[in-house]
Amino acid sequence: MAELLRMPEVAAGATSAVLSQWPIEVGSSFSSGDVIAIIETDKAVVDVEAEADGTLVHIVATDGEEVAIGDPIALIAGPGETVEDVDATLASLGVSESSPATPASSPASTDTAAAPQAASSPAAASAPTPTTVDETTASHGRLFASPIARRLAKEAGLALAGITGTGPGGRIRRRDVEAAIASGTAAPAQSASAPGAPTAPGVAAEFTETPHSRLRKAIATRLVESKTTAPHFYLRGSARVDRLMALRAEINEGEELRVSVNDLVLKAVAVAHTRVPAMNVIWTADALRQFSGVDIAVAIATDTGLVTPVLRGVQNLSIRQIAEATKDFAARARSGGLKQNELEGGSTSVTNLGMFGTEDFDAIINPPHSSILAVGAAKKQPVVAGDQIEVGSVMKVSLSVDHRPIDGATAAEWMREFTALLEQPAKILA
Amino acid sequence: MGIRVVNGSNPCHAPPMSNRENLTPDAPWIQISTTEADWDAAEPSLLTSMLSQLVLIRTFEEAALELAAEGNIHGPAHSSIGQEGGAVGSVLPLTSADTVNGSHRGHHQFVAKVLAHVAPEGIDPRADFPAAVGDVLLTTMAEICGLDRGFSHGRGGSMHLQWEEAGAIGTNAIVGGGVPLAAGSAWSHKHAGTDNVAVTYFGDGAANIGSTLETFNLAAAWDLPLCFFVENNLYAVSTHVSEVTGEPRLSARGPGFGMASWKVDGMDPLAVYLTMQDALAHMRSGKGPALIEADVYRFFHQNGPFPGSAFRYRTKEEEAHWRSRDPIDQVSSHLVRRGILTEEQVADTTKRAKALMAEILGELTEPVPGGKPDERRIKQSEWPDPAFVDVGVRGDLSELEGLRFEDEDSSTAELAEVKFIDAVAGVMNRRMETDDRIVVLGEDIHRLNGGTNGATRGLKDRFPDRILGTPISENAFTGLGGGMALDGRYRPVIEFMYADFMWVAADQLFNQIGKARHMFGGDGTVPVVLRSKVAQGTGYGSQHSMDPAGVLSTNPGWRIVAPSTPFDYVGLMNTALACDDPVVVLEHVDLYTSTGIGPVEDYDYYLPVGKAAIRRSGNDVTIISYLAMTQYVLKAVEEVGNIDAEVIDLRWLDRASIDWDTIGESIRKTNNVLIAEQGARGTSYGGWLADEIQRRFFDWLDQPVQRVTGGEASPSISKVLERAAIAQDPEVVEALRAMDLNGTEADNG
Repeated sequence: MAELLRMPEVAAGATSAVLSQWPIEVGSSFSSGDVIAIIETDKAVVDVEAEADGTLVHIVATDGEEVAIGDPIALIAGPGETVEDVDATLASLGVSESSPATPASSPASTDTAAAPQAASSPAAASAPTPTTVDETTASHGRLFASPIARRLAKEAGLALAGITGTGPGGRIRRRDVEAAIASGTAAPAQSASAPGAPTAPGVAAEFTETPHSRLRKAIATRLVESKTTAPHFYLRGSARVDRLMALRAEINEGEELRVSVNDLVLKAVAVAHTRVPAMNVIWTADALRQFSGVDIAVAIATDTGLVTPVLRGVQNLSIRQIAEATKDFAARARSGGLKQNELEGGSTSVTNLGMFGTEDFDAIINPPHSSILAVGAAKKQPVVAGDQIEVGSVMKVSLSVDHRPIDGATAAEWMREFTALLEQPAKILA
Repeated sequence: MGIRVVNGSNPCHAPPMSNRENLTPDAPWIQISTTEADWDAAEPSLLTSMLSQLVLIRTFEEAALELAAEGNIHGPAHSSIGQEGGAVGSVLPLTSADTVNGSHRGHHQFVAKVLAHVAPEGIDPRADFPAAVGDVLLTTMAEICGLDRGFSHGRGGSMHLQWEEAGAIGTNAIVGGGVPLAAGSAWSHKHAGTDNVAVTYFGDGAANIGSTLETFNLAAAWDLPLCFFVENNLYAVSTHVSEVTGEPRLSARGPGFGMASWKVDGMDPLAVYLTMQDALAHMRSGKGPALIEADVYRFFHQNGPFPGSAFRYRTKEEEAHWRSRDPIDQVSSHLVRRGILTEEQVADTTKRAKALMAEILGELTEPVPGGKPDERRIKQSEWPDPAFVDVGVRGDLSELEGLRFEDEDSSTAELAEVKFIDAVAGVMNRRMETDDRIVVLGEDIHRLNGGTNGATRGLKDRFPDRILGTPISENAFTGLGGGMALDGRYRPVIEFMYADFMWVAADQLFNQIGKARHMFGGDGTVPVVLRSKVAQGTGYGSQHSMDPAGVLSTNPGWRIVAPSTPFDYVGLMNTALACDDPVVVLEHVDLYTSTGIGPVEDYDYYLPVGKAAIRRSGNDVTIISYLAMTQYVLKAVEEVGNIDAEVIDLRWLDRASIDWDTIGESIRKTNNVLIAEQGARGTSYGGWLADEIQRRFFDWLDQPVQRVTGGEASPSISKVLERAAIAQDPEVVEALRAMDLNGTEADNG
């Protein structure tokens, strides 16, 4: 019995996702657990696994097409089953359009199918079947958008490239831009002007424009949301970390797996959160959410941008487990292999620019977290010990806090606990 | 004969016993020539004035040809050298209140008329020429050169010479085109109760064109004091008159139209003068028009300084014969013979005239910098400012200030559901009652209880001498209306029974009325209203079913209104009648029989120029329409149901009067535009509007400007084919659905 494969809801609240790739060809069979579709969201590339054995009969969504959650992406059938009349079957399942139906292995023909139904053709006007613009624009480098759509997008600071057109030939129309603004899915447009740089009078700096990646757009959207909705306040602290460095050296001695300072910091954060539970909260629309365990997001820089996979239950993890997990995250972040659920949750993040020598900096909270800890480099400097000045390694940290769920005193208490832990690192391990 | 006629007569073979009688026209046809006794009897001052005029005109034209040969006159300079006798002899008996117009070859008549105006007592050839004479000749030469100080700021040039103050109402570059206009001037003279006359000069070439022949008929039918003065110079460019007509004695045509006619030797200025005196007596006593044929000869070719023989269409011998009858020589010889002037005085007159012309050319020209000796050019300061190019295409509407402007929502008049046709007849009754200047002319408007549709009901009884049922000659009566408007004493309303007749009258509508204000300098007035019926859907077929709005709107001189309700008709007609520019009022016959909101008895309000009406407010699409199509559009919007359309009824269609504020505000709101009209695509109105919209509002559009029009072909008489050829509500419904607007079911759900 043929049935529809629908776009799964890979992230809570998402309205759509992009069908990234079909790893198997139309007509081929698959076994339960095989990856039969690859889907891309703002945050991750997700493998869709087959729930049972079967056959891929027909694809509805083509590569690169953005599909609303719950809309059909393919027609599948039982093992060895064939479907005589695909259109009729689709129709019986409520899918009216007999769309591309082209195997993923020949993307060129997809272009043909989605090619502009020549705007000058009268037929296009009388049969305005919405078609998607993605393939057309990608392959022809020409984006069709009505003048008012361009104007509205410009006013809203949105890039047209991220908006799907529903007009004739895939033209982006006013309603498409309005929908993008309403859903917040489109990415901000890159400013055309070169900021700050002094230029010769009367000669504007030359520039090139790189279309935003999905990840870049997601980062931008989330950080704008954070800065504009979460009222940040900042606490600065510093700790002498000679003992922490010694501890790390001791742990790493003779071991293949290297524990980083950051792994120790993560553990210290988990302990501090356990000691000051009022920090282990997040703000939601209607309630304050108090977590029992400590889930911490780790900021990982990749070539395409920042990702923040979440370490679960850090309070229960050993240093070695933390080290293993962060290395795995880093490796998979760079290969694009993080799963959507690994990117969700947590109450705080740790971001560390110490490896670049940055001494201290302030970070923007990663929603829905209530705080983020920005960690600088441990540097040798004169420190006052008793009444003596001696050389010591000092690490500076800055904690950005969402003032909605957390007040300053709570954060200050946390900072005191945290810096104390860094200075007495054995307690981190306790 | 073996043929027996059984019933009635045999049309082919007259019975041998039938009577034959030579018929003669009722109107006289007279040839006048002078005798020595006439020359002896002529007042010396008449003959000296003739000489002064002849010499001034001759030397003036020689100076013009000099400039032309130097390349200092742009375009043609049609000289009349040799033909001056006709002009001088016919102008001298006129007063400044008598009006003249002419053709492309009009320097001599124009100069004669303005000289007579500035020197009404005549010009003494023995004395210095009066300053005023030099002034008008300078202004005329400047106009011919296209210079700012000309009568029309250089816009008219050689072929469009006008100085209304002198009664020179404008020469014309369309052969025969000025003839109907002169009839309008003549009608105004007569209706105003004066004994003034109009004289329209034209050549043998114009004797065969419709405008002239139609006007012969119209002037004779209405006994207009109009003199048709044919200068028969034998050649229309290079074509001899005997080649193009069966009766080369062109004055023979007059009696056929019931018009008194004269033939005279135009090389003899005194003979022309005496003939004109007879014709004037005839016209001033109310006996109707006169036709004078003056045989003349131009010494040069059509234009430029070479004789016709150089172009081989006439011989040197023929030219020598005519030159021997030079009007200047004829007048001089009699002056010398009678001892009025000496030969030296005659020669000195020419010498002083040439000096005056040299002075005039010196005023307008300067040496070419770095040029050859004597090489000259127009002084740069004399040219008009290029920014003047479009100034005065139409008036500034200041004549409408202080009128009672009201729209339907702000009206103080008592309003009710009224018949459209009652509003049409009602407002014209009211305006003719309050304004004696309004005159209505058209076919059958005086009969059938208000014309073919009742639009002029009751007017003939109340205003018998201002309701003019015309012959079927649209070009002539449209031109006559145009002539009235240019004259300014009356405000004509011309009715076209069908819009397609626009083509028949196209010269008068477009070349004459539409261009006159601008062409003659941009500050005259042309208060004429054209009521053009639009008869789509009446089954009158391919030649009676057009919507003229598209074609009319290509001509910038016309304003166009399209009333779709009785209220609008009254207000728009009042404004049209008060406006000093030509205004077309489109009247759709479908609307005549409709009812709508209109005034019960208040016909005295005005609708402002350039204000459209929003018939329905909406957010999804701006539908722009006019006239009868507006109702179909509203019906279509109701039928579609889920599209929130804004419907704009333009009211004013021409480029200068269209309501960009209302259109722009709507487009900025809806971002989608549909222009809906009924008529055929080729002549349709919306093309220019779509073009203008996409340039003005490009950044506000969400899709191309869409259009609904009729089909390609003109509507046929067959009922189903006619319906298929014009657009109504189903076509609008289809177009709206194809626009894929926001108000689709999915969005509304």
